[in-house]
Amino acid sequence: MKYQIVIAGIGGQGAVFLVKVLSIASAITHQKCLGTENHGMSQRGGSVSCYVKIGDFYAPAIDEGQADLLIALEGNEALRNIQYLSKERGVIVMNAPKNFPKVDFETHSIDAFKKAKAKEFPIDALNVYMLGVTLALDAHFPFTCKEIEEAITMMNAKVAEKNITVLHQGINDTKAKK
Amino acid sequence: MKQILMGNEAIALGLIHAGVDMVSGYPGTPSSEILGNFQKFRDKNKLEAYAQWATNEKVGFEVAYAGAISGKRTCATMKQVGLNVASDALMSASYIGLKGAMLLISCDDPGFYSSQTEQDSRSFAKFARIPVLDPSTPQEAYDMVKLGIEFSHEFESIVMLRPVMRVSHAREICDVDDALHVKANQGNFERNIPRWGAVPPAGRFRQGLEQIDRLEAIKAWNWDHLIKPKTHALKGETILCLTSGTGDGYVREAMSELEIKADILKLDMPYPLPKEKLEALFVNYDKIIVFEESFPCIEEQLSSVKLYGKLTKHVHLIDEFSKDKVLAALAKADVIAPSHAYQSEKYDQELPKRPPNMCPGCPHRDVHYAITKVFKKKKSIYTSDIGCYTLGLNQAAIDTILCMGASISMASGFSISDPDKTVVATIGDSTFMHSGVAPLINAVYQNHKFVLIILDNSTTAMTGRQTTPERTNPNQIDIKRIIEGCGIACHEYVYEQDLTKTVDFMKSLQEAYKTATSPVVAVVREFCVLDKDNALGRLGNVVVEVDEDKCVACDSCITNYKCPPMHYNDAGKMEIDPFLCAGCGSCLDVVCPTDAFVKKEEK
Repeated sequence: MKYQIVIAGIGGQGAVFLVKVLSIASAITHQKCLGTENHGMSQRGGSVSCYVKIGDFYAPAIDEGQADLLIALEGNEALRNIQYLSKERGVIVMNAPKNFPKVDFETHSIDAFKKAKAKEFPIDALNVYMLGVTLALDAHFPFTCKEIEEAITMMNAKVAEKNITVLHQGINDTKAKK
Repeated sequence: MKQILMGNEAIALGLIHAGVDMVSGYPGTPSSEILGNFQKFRDKNKLEAYAQWATNEKVGFEVAYAGAISGKRTCATMKQVGLNVASDALMSASYIGLKGAMLLISCDDPGFYSSQTEQDSRSFAKFARIPVLDPSTPQEAYDMVKLGIEFSHEFESIVMLRPVMRVSHAREICDVDDALHVKANQGNFERNIPRWGAVPPAGRFRQGLEQIDRLEAIKAWNWDHLIKPKTHALKGETILCLTSGTGDGYVREAMSELEIKADILKLDMPYPLPKEKLEALFVNYDKIIVFEESFPCIEEQLSSVKLYGKLTKHVHLIDEFSKDKVLAALAKADVIAPSHAYQSEKYDQELPKRPPNMCPGCPHRDVHYAITKVFKKKKSIYTSDIGCYTLGLNQAAIDTILCMGASISMASGFSISDPDKTVVATIGDSTFMHSGVAPLINAVYQNHKFVLIILDNSTTAMTGRQTTPERTNPNQIDIKRIIEGCGIACHEYVYEQDLTKTVDFMKSLQEAYKTATSPVVAVVREFCVLDKDNALGRLGNVVVEVDEDKCVACDSCITNYKCPPMHYNDAGKMEIDPFLCAGCGSCLDVVCPTDAFVKKEEK
């Protein structure tokens, strides 16, 4: 199997955390994984984009027109990275308000900022919430909920319970919306 | 044992497994996590090893080099720009060689993700005449650390490892050794004055000849051990791709995905190359194309009319590789028809620009703001340096950035060349210790008149908050006393999240400048908002909002103050993003000309 994911967001939202979780999930499921993340200049509020390539790959970066999935923790960052999606199979899962511009891809969006403002979940768990949304929506996503839970626990057992709760909140909110 | 490792973690683990117990370096993205991870592994497993940040790369290199010539296995870490600083020592050490082993790790940054220049450290290895290994993935980086140390020991030469950002910051499942122990390798310096204390010309001339012999031996080793075994896999196609480091991954992926037929030969040690043996391979091919990042290091060592690459303008000359660039090069060399398999349309509407910016609540923003408020732009020149505060560019509070330490020496220069303007230099504490002290001494020595503001947050914030000399030994190393040691006064300000006070401090410096005959030097005692120990109790807890009736959308705040939570809402008024606001409250009193920022509540 070959599956390529672009994770986009802004500094401080925890995009790098998702790269780690997804690479642990790959290891759990005995799949090859090559990821890359932004460091250094991406201060809080600046654009951050990370890549995860699952399967038989040699180059860490994702080229344009290649990604199967774009997880955007912020709507505009989805648009900024849209060229990385495959025209045939690209899917977007993004955190964006309802009146967001439409694009020519299978798009699933949820207004997670609104939910965080209403204190439905803590904003620092936005990344995990969006991973839950992804699990509920992307039929081709290469991991099961159980594998992601296991990866989150391996990553940091201390806060795993809290994160897994938010993960399920993402899944349930999405299913309720369907 | 299989582990998920980031490239720099894999390198750190490789050092431990290669028996290295002495690591020294200076932080610089993308290299910084190597020494940090080595320290983590060491502390977690209670290993006996030295791993410390040095004041700069030259110092770090020399510490590790001394360890190596007394027989230990050592390593120095830095980024490509840092290698410029260490180059003086490297050039000489390359002649002299060593006894134990030393790996010089210089991380490159093709694509300028966090660097002033692209540079290719492999070319520096060539310049210094030392062998260089070029890994393409974290796994290879791990393997090459071990190979490099063994190789360094065998040939008594410094060996360079040159990972690029896409290796250092890539993450993959690596197969690594199980054991985690370091056998402390005992150093024992043996006096040998003709070697270690060689004085030109006779001693160095002999060492220069030895260096050339050594290179010939390494070339032969490169062929026998690294290249020749791979030639058995060549299939006799008409095109040969010579690759190095990450270039290999892009070529291999593009070739297999698009079913392009060519032989690929990856050169793990791109310098020194066994030129004649490689060129003998060319006989069977129509074209040989070199894919390497960033400079034509391999290409410059070979010659053939069949050779295509950067020198022949078939391969791009700047920026990092991509599969699209591989296809473009193949098309230019008439190997394939032009292909757009890796090109896609961007979103064509305008999106909010997000240039790198200082964190919300960062004291640097206030200092830059206060400088431009007091020392007016038309009458001033703002020189600055390398660190988070460089992002003051967004506030138009910086006119020049050259390299570390240059803010002070260039302030000296401008004070001579343009004396009617007030030069205001800014530099961080880590950069000051790195290469600011010497130019300050120079400025005092020659009575140059300018304002120097040292932004002291007691950490190397930009690269991930590594420790600084002051932080580790606060009672001994102190910036104020260094300045006073130059025989001049040190103006000190303990930063508060109250812009009025910061502006007042700048006014006091302006007063001092009027009568000064030498540099006016200040240290602002700050903190980094991400630094848990130091920022504790000093961060604000005020939620600020915008009074829409007062906001006239004059742009003043986002142009001059540039705090990430500030943005325009649908009504065309300023709005503060509550998720980004740090609650410092600095913007309340000075920033808005119509006083539209108001305190909402305590957090």
